[in-house]
Order: sequence, then C-alpha cells, then structure tokens
Amino acid sequence: MSVTSPAETAARTPFLKPLIWALILFLCVTPFLLIFAVSFGHKIEGASWEWGFSFANYQRVFVGASWPDEITFLYLQKLYYSLYYAVIASVLAVLTAFPFTYLMTGLSRRAQSAWLVFILASLSLSEVFIVMGWDVLLSNRSGLPMVFKETGLTAWLKEVGWFDTLREWGLANPRNVKFKTSVFATVLTMAYLVWPYAVILLYPPLSRLDRSMVEAAQTMGAGPGTVMRTVILPSVRLPLAGAILLLFVFLLGVYVAVTVFAEPAKQTMAVSVYEAVRGNTLNAPFGAAQAVVLLITAGIFLVLGQWLSRRGTS
Amino acid sequence: MIGLSLKGIHKDFGSVRAVETTDLDFAEGELTALLGPSGCGKTTLLRMIAGLEDPSGGAIRLGERDITALPAHKRRFGMVFQSFALFPHLSVRENVVYSLVISGTSKQDAMDTGERLLDLVQLKEFGDRRIGELSGGQRQRVAIARALAQEPDVFLLDEPMSALDAKLREDMQVELRLLQQRLGITTIVVTHDQREAMTMADKIVVMSRGKVEQVGPPQDIYHRPANAFVADFIGKANFYDGVVEKGGVRVADTVLTRDPPAGFINGSDVRIACRPETPYLDSNDANGTRIKAKVTFVRDVGPARDIHLETEIGPMIVEYARGENQRDYVVGQETIVTLPTDGLHVFAKPGWAAE
Repeated sequence: MSVTSPAETAARTPFLKPLIWALILFLCVTPFLLIFAVSFGHKIEGASWEWGFSFANYQRVFVGASWPDEITFLYLQKLYYSLYYAVIASVLAVLTAFPFTYLMTGLSRRAQSAWLVFILASLSLSEVFIVMGWDVLLSNRSGLPMVFKETGLTAWLKEVGWFDTLREWGLANPRNVKFKTSVFATVLTMAYLVWPYAVILLYPPLSRLDRSMVEAAQTMGAGPGTVMRTVILPSVRLPLAGAILLLFVFLLGVYVAVTVFAEPAKQTMAVSVYEAVRGNTLNAPFGAAQAVVLLITAGIFLVLGQWLSRRGTS
Repeated sequence: MIGLSLKGIHKDFGSVRAVETTDLDFAEGELTALLGPSGCGKTTLLRMIAGLEDPSGGAIRLGERDITALPAHKRRFGMVFQSFALFPHLSVRENVVYSLVISGTSKQDAMDTGERLLDLVQLKEFGDRRIGELSGGQRQRVAIARALAQEPDVFLLDEPMSALDAKLREDMQVELRLLQQRLGITTIVVTHDQREAMTMADKIVVMSRGKVEQVGPPQDIYHRPANAFVADFIGKANFYDGVVEKGGVRVADTVLTRDPPAGFINGSDVRIACRPETPYLDSNDANGTRIKAKVTFVRDVGPARDIHLETEIGPMIVEYARGENQRDYVVGQETIVTLPTDGLHVFAKPGWAAE
C-alpha cells in the first residue's frame, strides 16, 4: 500500500484547493450579494418585484417614502427599538450570567460539567419554544398576572401604592398587573434566550482566572465587594465586553420574541424585514434595504468593539 | 511586631485530616520555615494562619488577641503566593500600592510608600511596567513588595521560590533573608526544599502527613533529628535496620558501637541513620566501628566527593569535602570505613522516633 502525503495530493490536483475556496466563498457571500442587489430593485404593485438601481428603498428607510415633501422616521424608529432591546437584553443576560458563572467555576469539576451539560442542552430549545413558554407564563389569563391576583399580591400592590407605579411603567391595567405587551416582557425573554450563550462565553475566561489573585487581594485587606470591583471585573473586562457585543449583534435579529411581546408601535427592524419579504407588505427590495441597514449597523458595532478592545489591551 | 501562636489547630477535609492537632509558636521577628514533602499539610497550615482556610478546631493568637474567626481581609497578613498572583491589569507600582489604595491612604502617601518599597526590592526603574514585561525574579520581588506595603504583623510566603530557576533561587533566598532581618518582621515560609529552609530560617518546623515531626533551629534538626523521617528528609543519611545489643547495634554480623550507648533494651528493633560526612575511610585515628568495604562508584561534583561503598552492613555513601581526604578512590578498591561512635542516630522501630 502506498501512502501519499497531503502535499503530494495537492500537487496532483492543483485545482482542488482553489475550488474549495471558491465554493466556500460562493456559499458565504452570495446570499449577502443577492440581498444587496435586490435592495436596489423596486416592487411592482400587485405582482412581484424587478431588478433596478435606485436608492428609493434606502431613502424610505432613513427619511420616508414621501421625502422631501414629508419626512418620517418610522423605520429608523424600528432600528432604534432593535438597538434598544438588544442592548438592554444583552447587558442583562451578561450581568446575570456573570455571578452565576463565577460561582459555578468555584464548584468541583464534576458539578461544573453537570451545569455545563445542562446549559448546553438548553441551547437545543428553539426560539419559538422558549417564547411559547414565556408567552404562557406572562399571559394575562393564565400566567403570572393570575398568580398575582389569586395570591393577593395585586391587592397588596394596590394597598402600598406601587400598583400606580407599575401602571405608569405600562406593567398594569386598571384591574391587574400585565406583562403582555411590554418592553419588560420583550427584554426579559430576549435576555433569557441568550443567557446560556452568555454563560458559555464567560465560562472560559472565568475558569482561567487565577483564584490566588482573589486570595492575594483578601490578604491585602480587600473585602468581597472590593475584590470583585478591583480584581475580578478588571481582569475579565474584555471577555465581558466581548460577550455583550456578540449577544447584542445576535439579538438584533430576534423575531419571534418581539412579535409576541412588543406592542406594534415598538416592533423592531427584524420584524419589519420579515413582513416586507414574506409577510403582509410583500416588498422584497424594501425588506432587503432594511436588512442591509441592519447588517451595517451590526458591523459598525463589531468594528467599534474591536477598536475598544484593542485600546483596552494596549 | 507581635508573635503568633497556634493552639490545638487542626484541619479536616471531609473524613481526611489534613493537619493534625498542632501547637506552634512563632516568635516576634523570627523566620520560621514549614518544611515537608508535598501533601504534608504545610500549605494548609499557612492558609489557616492567613485566614484563607477555616481551622476545624483550635485557636490562632496574634499576641494576646484571638484571631481564629477573623477573615483574611481583616487579618491583613502580607502573603506571597506560589504563582505570585500579581494583578496583570495593574502596573508594577499599582500592584505594590494596592493595599494602600483600597484602604483609602492618600495618593501621595501611597506613591511615596510604593517608591520606597520598589527601591527596597531594587525595582525602582520598573514602576510603570506591566507585569507581563517582568522576569520571574522581578515578579517575585514585586509580590514581596506588595505584601509588605501594608506593614503586616506577619509575613507569609507559600513556596515563594518554586517558580524560579535554580541559580536565581539561591540568590533570592539570601536576598529575602537579608530583607527579613533588616525589617525584623515575623515571617513564615512554606517550602519543600530543605536547602531553602536551612538557608533562610531561624527555626524549622518539619512536617509529614499533617503532623509536626520536629521543631528547632536548622543545625539542631540536621545534627539531632528526632526521628528517621527527619533524618531522611533533611540532608542525606545512610540507613540500617538492626537490633540493640549491649549499648551498640547489631546490623547483620557487625555490632556498631555507639557513645553514649543506645538507650534501648537489648533486643529492641531499631533503625540507625548515619550522615555521609561522618564516616572515615582508611583512618587509623578515628574512634568507632571499623568495617571492610569496597568502592562501587565515585561521584565527584567539584566542591565535594561522594564515595559509594558496598559494606558488610549494606551500601553506604561517604562524602568528603574538597581537600578533606587527598587519597584517590577507584571502583573496585578495597578499603576500611570507620563509623564513629558519636555519628550514629538510633531510632526506635515503631514510628522510628529518636531515643
């Protein structure tokens, strides 16, 4: 039997490597290029759409279709809500996952493995499944609001006067607390959705953290709060920022949670893209233009993050 | 500075006793080495002193004050860790003044102390460097300066030399000892290296399997080991098992005489230790038991020469410092070895404690 080295194989098939590269490039780049090309096309009323080259769709995203006669920021508002939900949810997920992961890395190897398997397993739940669960949990008739009412918590909230505060925040109607639809429910579900990712992103840097640094700080008079503030957080600030950024970009594209939990006026660009491409409005070029804007926004944040991390390390 | 004392301290991890009940006193301004093999409980003992590990029982007193329940951050004993545990996100100077900054010392005072300490550990020019830019020896000095910044009552070091190479280690041992003597600070060093302990310590605590085997000044421990473990762990020794016979010890067919006579009942099983530098080769003047021997190996390392012998009582190593014995020895040579009467340590068999 003769053995051929990879170098020999490469010499005999010189076209194989470029071919594989071309295929990968084609699969990765083509969808983006297509969307980009479509975004310059226009819709044919009552039919489909056709290729073209006009910036009308982009104009509509930024200043509205009737510009310059009339200016509207409807779609920029949707972009704003995309950013708003994603920022809060990603920060919330990382901030809650951080203490959990930190405590987890202090457990025995066995316990850590069990937790990691459990968290990895929860990643297999789809967005639809998770949103359905939270939908039931937060629904006005069968979820937490019912529990609030039945246990007398609602009455107590009214008694102590906090109920009015909840109403101001849009988390209650005159009769009972309500979580649907609300920014609170949207952000909570989005944070829940990426929480396992946050743990998995934070686990490697936290498990590598030299615990003797914590003990050294203790012997120098640092209490638990000071240790956290002056040693642990500064040591993992880059992974923390990285995790927030990654989850933020991921959350820009969340669809199901927003359609279920956000009120129509506060829906995001991802929802608008879907509606243009497959939903009610059926305007693929306009949907494509919104998708490109969303993509560029995500890109800007990633570049910004990269720049900040480079500044942080230098 | 105040002395530290441990009364009945012990530590259990589940059903395993890591440190047996221990009473120890650390005198003011003295350097004590906790010496023993890996897993003997010396680091656990140090961590209990630092407040990083809760003792399962017993009390720790600093002067007259009971500090057993005091958490580490309130004890504020300066500690140097095996890994040095320096903060990579801070500069050298910021590392050194960490304890002062978090305790609210004014910036000017903190910086002045930082400069003084950096000068003390000969790193004055390195204050603005990152930790990653320092060598192992420099890192250790930063760790020492950092631990001293808060002017601790007790200075603790956990295997401080283990991350350094052999040459640097010897230099740092002397340097650390001189620094400690200059500051007069009560210091406890954990080490598994007996040379390190002998170089630095006023007092050595030899530990094995969670138990203190012997406490004493280095020369005492070396010349008067309390048991076979200490004799074996501190320095080198030739060991023979034998039976007490008329004040001497019979090993195989030879009776080794001892002065003063071995204080055991005739017929007791004992173990003898003999330091390699105590026997003599081909000496007519030496007073002791003369045994026939044959050279099996010669190891000449420059300052000293080890001559390995096969004797009637078993293998033996005899060590001569350079110039001490001018004769040449070659493998296969027949010789006579004299075991001096005062050079034998006799230990009882159960636990091998000294007579």
